[in-house]
Amino acid sequence: MRDMTRRKALIGLSALTLVLAGCGGGGDGGEAADPAADSSLSRAGAMADFGVNQQFKATEPLEFEVLYNNHSFYPNKNDWLFWEELTKRTNVKIKPIEVPLSDYEQKRGLLVGSGQAPLIIPKTYPGQEDTFVSSGAILPVSDYIDLMPNFKDKVAKWRLEPELNTRRQADGRFYLLPGLHENVWVDYTLAVRTDIMEELNLEVPKTWDELYEVLKAMKAKYPDRYPMTDRWGDPTPGGNLFKLVAQAYGTKGGWEYQHATWDPAAGKFAYTGAMPQYKQMIEYLHKLVEEKLIDPESFTQQDEPAKQKFNSGKSFVISTNAQTLINDYRGPLEKAVKGAKVAKIPVPMGPVGEYKIGTRLENGIMISSKAKDHPNFVAMMQFIDWLWYSDEGQEFAKWGVEGTTYTKDSDGNYKIADDIDFIGLNPDASKHLQKDFGFGNGVFAYGGTTQLLQSTFSEEEKEFQDVMNARQQWPVDPPHPFTDEERERSTLWETPLKDHVTQNTLKFILGERDLSEWDAYVKELEAKNMTAYIDLVNAAAERFKKEHG
Amino acid sequence: MVTLDRSPGYRVFRWINALVLTGVVIVTLYPFANIISRSFSEEQYIVTGQVNLLPRGFNLSTYKVVISDPMFWTNYRNTVIYTVVATAIAMFLTTCYAYVLSKKHLKGRTVLIWIAVFTMIFSGGLIPQYVLVNSLGLTNTLWAIVLPNAISVFNLLVMKAFFENLPGDLEEAAAIDGLNTYGILWRIVLPLSKAVIATMVLFYSVSFWNSWFTAFLYLHEQELFPVTIYLRNLIAGATTSESYGLAAGDVTQAASNIQSVAIMLTVLPILAVYPFVQRYFVSGVMLGAVKG
Repeated sequence: MRDMTRRKALIGLSALTLVLAGCGGGGDGGEAADPAADSSLSRAGAMADFGVNQQFKATEPLEFEVLYNNHSFYPNKNDWLFWEELTKRTNVKIKPIEVPLSDYEQKRGLLVGSGQAPLIIPKTYPGQEDTFVSSGAILPVSDYIDLMPNFKDKVAKWRLEPELNTRRQADGRFYLLPGLHENVWVDYTLAVRTDIMEELNLEVPKTWDELYEVLKAMKAKYPDRYPMTDRWGDPTPGGNLFKLVAQAYGTKGGWEYQHATWDPAAGKFAYTGAMPQYKQMIEYLHKLVEEKLIDPESFTQQDEPAKQKFNSGKSFVISTNAQTLINDYRGPLEKAVKGAKVAKIPVPMGPVGEYKIGTRLENGIMISSKAKDHPNFVAMMQFIDWLWYSDEGQEFAKWGVEGTTYTKDSDGNYKIADDIDFIGLNPDASKHLQKDFGFGNGVFAYGGTTQLLQSTFSEEEKEFQDVMNARQQWPVDPPHPFTDEERERSTLWETPLKDHVTQNTLKFILGERDLSEWDAYVKELEAKNMTAYIDLVNAAAERFKKEHG
Repeated sequence: MVTLDRSPGYRVFRWINALVLTGVVIVTLYPFANIISRSFSEEQYIVTGQVNLLPRGFNLSTYKVVISDPMFWTNYRNTVIYTVVATAIAMFLTTCYAYVLSKKHLKGRTVLIWIAVFTMIFSGGLIPQYVLVNSLGLTNTLWAIVLPNAISVFNLLVMKAFFENLPGDLEEAAAIDGLNTYGILWRIVLPLSKAVIATMVLFYSVSFWNSWFTAFLYLHEQELFPVTIYLRNLIAGATTSESYGLAAGDVTQAASNIQSVAIMLTVLPILAVYPFVQRYFVSGVMLGAVKG
């Protein structure tokens, strides 16, 4: 019964989105004049001359509502030092609308859809803003970034324009203020049992082919086990593994799957699931399955059984990130298997060469379009700019108050206060930076300089980062924003296409369908409008280039 | 008839029946038993898959951790309040509506029934509902949880069927003896309807106890959340944000023994209610069902 109600509710929600999309007409058309000088904007409380790395302080006490993603690990407390200090420094009070993290997206959709959204809507991942654009409920922030000196400064300094362009809609504007990283931050990779590697005298694999040899050697020694099992297969099959292998061949898979992949050789987009590179990824994984080097359940199993297999020593290789390495594997594994050691390996590469592949855009902030008429609009933009984009604001949000929660030496190294714990830096401390002070909060603290990002990393993780950062950055795909009408059409095609690609990717890899049927499979995609889809993408890319490039 | 329970065929049937049902019981109880044993186990044994029916590394420290979280108890108290208030209001409204509908001589009875049934089939959709509740000023109050769900049409129809089955002569006799309509309902009908009332109380309280979606929609402060949202955030939270593969830095999954303990503490009270009401529960639903 309850499920039914929920489903009905969801259908209602999507129906409404469509209705709103039909109404169309977002924004007010035409390029806005320079907003910094625009006298029609309400400047009450704003600073007259707010600049880069300057402390923002509202000229009168202000309060803004913020949609607040309430984390179960550090639920909001009103007496956090973060709130108190924030108001002291900026004269701004934030009123959080608390939404449980588990269903944040749904509530955000509901509030935006019903026109009841608060002014500031953080924790929105790049791409999630697309569905709201046509409703006109979200502010085209690109028209107002002149109010945000720190944001502009970082975009210019770090040459983020190409990444930012991928967020532009067909009207040439972007509607999301994304979090900005100085460098591509690669975190997800494979964890390997280094004690087994030593035992068998194996080198750390640099490519997927070398990993294949490593797995083979492990299999030779332990013929009764699968050397590799994997997690993060639910809800996206092969989420991390497909992503990494696909990257090595120059295509997109798993978490990163997108229907269109830029083909630099051809100078246009190709349909990902039909690319020869995608086939190579499948062939590689199929080889692992066929030779029993990888647990065939890897691609779809839940995390729990995967962790259990790895931690009980039944397999030796598994997907990881810095945090799961410590929390999920190392502790339990070392207790369960004597002498076991586990470490991250640099992301294995393939035919494309050594790259670090990822985006420098993080989750970010949408702003309700009604904010424009708010008496404190300019002050709000300056406040957002300071807290989320200035060096000082980012340091404050992550580390807190110098001398109270942390200290910093002359080289810029951060040290947490002795009685405070934060991601295992002081495991015996009685207080916790996130739980008791409200810093390091995912709603406010992300992105920024590489130094700030790595300030919480362990030595081991920094070594991994150094290897990854020595690699070249993968170029950004050209933008190809759809118009409302195109988006509607493409959405209709996307679901059947994606289902077909996912199903057949798994079938090919598991050997349920023979790879000799690849051409037949491409024809099936064809029947599901693959070419029409990719033509739409290429036309959109072409148009964007002409109008805004 | 006499030989039926002694015939060999019947005995075989009973054996097979017992066997199959035992299987069903095991399959149903196992996950629950597993949660119980997890809640008493050390995290270490859970993540290596060693906990099945019996706890490994028995300890109570996880219970202490969960019990010492003030937000858990705030939310727990909310759940109790919401359930009690909502069930009381729902019972009052449903009983009144059902009793009226059970009177065949009521003018416009069909229309009234269809008004109710209509809402079973069609709804305004999520956003209009939200806008309505919001503009009535109910958001962030207890009433947003209680009022929109005060009448469950299914329960209403079961109750109406039950009332229709009560002999009309009784009520006529009562009327002759001088009772008015309200007196008849209060003194005659309700005392005879304990079975259906108990059933409805059970239905309503279980559904209010378990519900989280309404609260999730209409409440914006964690101090107001019921414990089901606390629980859901604990269990589903980490998994959803992990699937992005992006902001890994702020994802910390609650340990599985904490999840188990929270589940145990949340489920226990409503579980304890069942044995006491079950007597009425079985006969109550049946009574409504065999309408001639």
